[in-house]
Amino acid sequence: MRLRLKGGRVLDPANGENGVASGAVRDIEIEDGRIVAPTDLRADAEYDLGGDVVMAGGIDLHSHIAGGKMNLARLLMQEDRRAYPEMPGNFCGCGGGRAVPTAHATGCRYAELGYTTVFEPAMVGANARGAHLEMADIPNLDTGAYLVLGNDDYFLRLLAAGAGQEQVNAYVGWMLEATQAFAIKIVNPGGINAFKFNARKMELDEANPHYGVSPRKVLTTLIRAVTELGIPHPIHLHGCNLGVPGNDETTLATIAATEGRRLHLTHLQFHSYGTEGDRRFSSSAARIAEMVNANPNISVDVGQVMFGQTVTASADYMSQYRNRGLASPKKSIGMDIELDAACGVVPFEYKDKSFVNALQWAIGLELFLLVEDPWRIFLTTDHPNGGPFTTYPHLIRLLMDRDFRNAQLSTLNKAAQKHTVLSEITREYSLEEVAILTRAAPARILGLTDKGHLGPGAVADIAVHTEDADREAMFSTTRMVFKNGRLIVKDGVVVELAQGTTHVARPDFDRAVEKDIDRWFDEAVGLKAKHFRVADGELRNGAGPTILKCEGGAS
Amino acid sequence: MAGAASETIHDVVCGFCGLGCDDLSVEVEGRAIRPTGSICPEAARLLRRLDVADRPASIAGAPASFEEAAAVARHLLAEARSPLIGGLGTDMAGAGALVDLAVRFGGVLDHYASEGLFRNYAAAQRTGWLSTTLAEARNHCDLLLVVGDDPAATWGRLFERLYPEAPLFATAGRKVIFLGGAPGEKAKAQLSGVDVVHLATDDAVAALEALSSLVAGRTPPGGSFGGIDCETLASLAGELRASAYAVVTWNAGTLDDGDLVAERATGLVDALNVTTRAGVFPLGGRDNIIGVNQLMLWRLGYPLRTAVRGQASAHDGALYSTASALADADLLVWVSAFRPEPPPAFAGRVIALAHPDTVFDKEPDVLIPVGTPGVDHAGTVFRMDSIVSLPLGALRVATLPSVAEAVRRIAEG
Repeated sequence: MRLRLKGGRVLDPANGENGVASGAVRDIEIEDGRIVAPTDLRADAEYDLGGDVVMAGGIDLHSHIAGGKMNLARLLMQEDRRAYPEMPGNFCGCGGGRAVPTAHATGCRYAELGYTTVFEPAMVGANARGAHLEMADIPNLDTGAYLVLGNDDYFLRLLAAGAGQEQVNAYVGWMLEATQAFAIKIVNPGGINAFKFNARKMELDEANPHYGVSPRKVLTTLIRAVTELGIPHPIHLHGCNLGVPGNDETTLATIAATEGRRLHLTHLQFHSYGTEGDRRFSSSAARIAEMVNANPNISVDVGQVMFGQTVTASADYMSQYRNRGLASPKKSIGMDIELDAACGVVPFEYKDKSFVNALQWAIGLELFLLVEDPWRIFLTTDHPNGGPFTTYPHLIRLLMDRDFRNAQLSTLNKAAQKHTVLSEITREYSLEEVAILTRAAPARILGLTDKGHLGPGAVADIAVHTEDADREAMFSTTRMVFKNGRLIVKDGVVVELAQGTTHVARPDFDRAVEKDIDRWFDEAVGLKAKHFRVADGELRNGAGPTILKCEGGAS
Repeated sequence: MAGAASETIHDVVCGFCGLGCDDLSVEVEGRAIRPTGSICPEAARLLRRLDVADRPASIAGAPASFEEAAAVARHLLAEARSPLIGGLGTDMAGAGALVDLAVRFGGVLDHYASEGLFRNYAAAQRTGWLSTTLAEARNHCDLLLVVGDDPAATWGRLFERLYPEAPLFATAGRKVIFLGGAPGEKAKAQLSGVDVVHLATDDAVAALEALSSLVAGRTPPGGSFGGIDCETLASLAGELRASAYAVVTWNAGTLDDGDLVAERATGLVDALNVTTRAGVFPLGGRDNIIGVNQLMLWRLGYPLRTAVRGQASAHDGALYSTASALADADLLVWVSAFRPEPPPAFAGRVIALAHPDTVFDKEPDVLIPVGTPGVDHAGTVFRMDSIVSLPLGALRVATLPSVAEAVRRIAEG
């Protein structure tokens, strides 16, 4: 099967191509789902792009799309589902929801925006099988999941006993394989566990009430494990003290704690709060961006706040419990989970007239605009925690259009406007930078060499946008989207459902650890380790995962 | 199968009651299955199989081929104005196929054991809840409050699972308080070494409400609550406040006022979490009800008791319960693969995808006997906590289709 996309302006930052700037048009050729060098061979289908902008399919490296906490959110927020019923033109009757859309709606709405790969950033090991079943029901997207580690009693017990790094590495390798995960996420390092012992907050160097282990120790040990196992994506960190004014110091100390090793700080906006001003809540975006700029080992995503109703869902039960008084509507869920992690679900409405919410919005944008290297910052709203992913087109316009941004700012809470430098920032993102943020850079930080670009060998996941000076309008719809070379979206409407794959990372590790893990599961968890393990055949209705073999791991 | 060798299979996963035990042993000889070792009575009964031929598919009681039965079922579905897809005792693959069926032909989806779930939801959807899971309770819980009747009759190994010899954290003494019925012999045996107290009451709601007040530092007006005097409750409130990790458990399915028990238990746990840690641990989970519910939430955005019509879904916990929906239905698709659960009395047409031992009051219009997940074929089921799911294996060669296979054959011909 050979396809030819004719006469597009190719925007492919990974390969240094910018047809938007040069005005050059060219063809892209696809053979059996992959991009190939152009040939003169007859194509089975040709599409005339007429100078439209062609990019690789979007990659969202942090969006909560599957797992038990999303189902808890759906259960709790039936009003979200009722307010956003099935879209016309759906052909399975499964659509619906905005803050917590169904699997079908998730796959369709993302595809309509030109996204073709999305990573669930907080899979709890105990829930891995269920999360994978749910991901298999998301159409049109390739997926993958980051395993939440660092609050599990097995690991903390190892640290408390002074276990060697080799033993930790073996455990991390086993867990990654057993849960079919792609990377390691740490959520509030050790804090979720400490909450089970009734600690209400955890500072970076505070001792866990039971294990005596500090978040710093959890973080540095797991950073080393991921490095030594050769897992491509660095530790994906949701740090200590989420949402707490003054957590800027924690964030800066966390960056320093890496001592130059790679670390990804997720939803950084929620971790960039100072305590200045009469309300003791201020932006530290400038300080933090400066430190990010100075430390090339650090990458970040923003977790931009977008105004409106949403629901927050996180493994950080400690923080979610602390914030449950802010729930709107007034209801929330919390759950301790299986010596493994936890979750908290808190509905939330971000209001533009609220000082705190308006400043959160401004802090996120300050981070976007003050972090200089577009290869180290990623476009996220921490869906749905800062806002639903369907707000991305609006967010892109905020980044690309200073006048629009300042006009929005001028409508917000007046006090918040005085607490942000946003109006003075002149930077506007270029289309090329947006393409970096949303496809080229995520592919690079995830180690997905055949995604995020349009060179020969790349997976033919392709988005075609018609250029529009109104960037929100431009990115709100796609003229065409191809998934593995199949046309799935035409003129903004899903025309076919494609079955995606699930990416997993597989390091080598010392399997001698299995004996101890078996005993742990038998005695502590009360479940067999072999039944905790998710088999390849359980993924994607028997199709199995797409395996990224890690290099440089222990043999 | 005469002369077939007997083989013992260990670490068998059980999908029946929702507790998710995964250490069972069975002897398999040809198509015969005999449970061995420590096993609860329900699993022993449901796993035991004789080496006999399964009853064939039938149309109005007359034997038919699988294909013929499926064709008639498809015809009935196509003609039906208002199908109820009920029972829903099936694994995850079967649940997915049944949601597809509802999307294609329309229909209300409900599980036969959903009453308890919706009693819990009545409270939970208004306020939310703070809960825990088996492994957390097993290791952290130093004070367990069991509301209602002794659950060991339904979950035969519950206390064995919750009370290992050496918990990781609750090492300074563990206590179980039965608020309601007395613990039976089985519970007592599994709780040896644990401090067990029984507070008899026929009004657990009143007792829980008073407990919540006392925990929050208020003295409720009155001398006794649910027949338990205020001093006893005040002392219990003190113990709850002093506990490191209290857990409250109940089975809303067997409590007439299960919705109120759920609400008061949720309130009590909320009050406790202000100063210490606690979680609710609602019991349930029979025949993969939790898994089917999970799948519906991610597929349709709604839990059980949802109607799918004209490419759109609507949820109503009352209107689309099996009992209410039957009144409006003209076709019942009855699914029960885990056990021979008969369909409810119904005057309309019935398609049964049923356990081969099911005894029917009236022969269904179409009967397709189906295999049991975890006996005849592999599958996935969720545990009662909605977080953990387990892989069921096949114990023998299947001669019957799975629910997923049967539904696909009906839908696609």
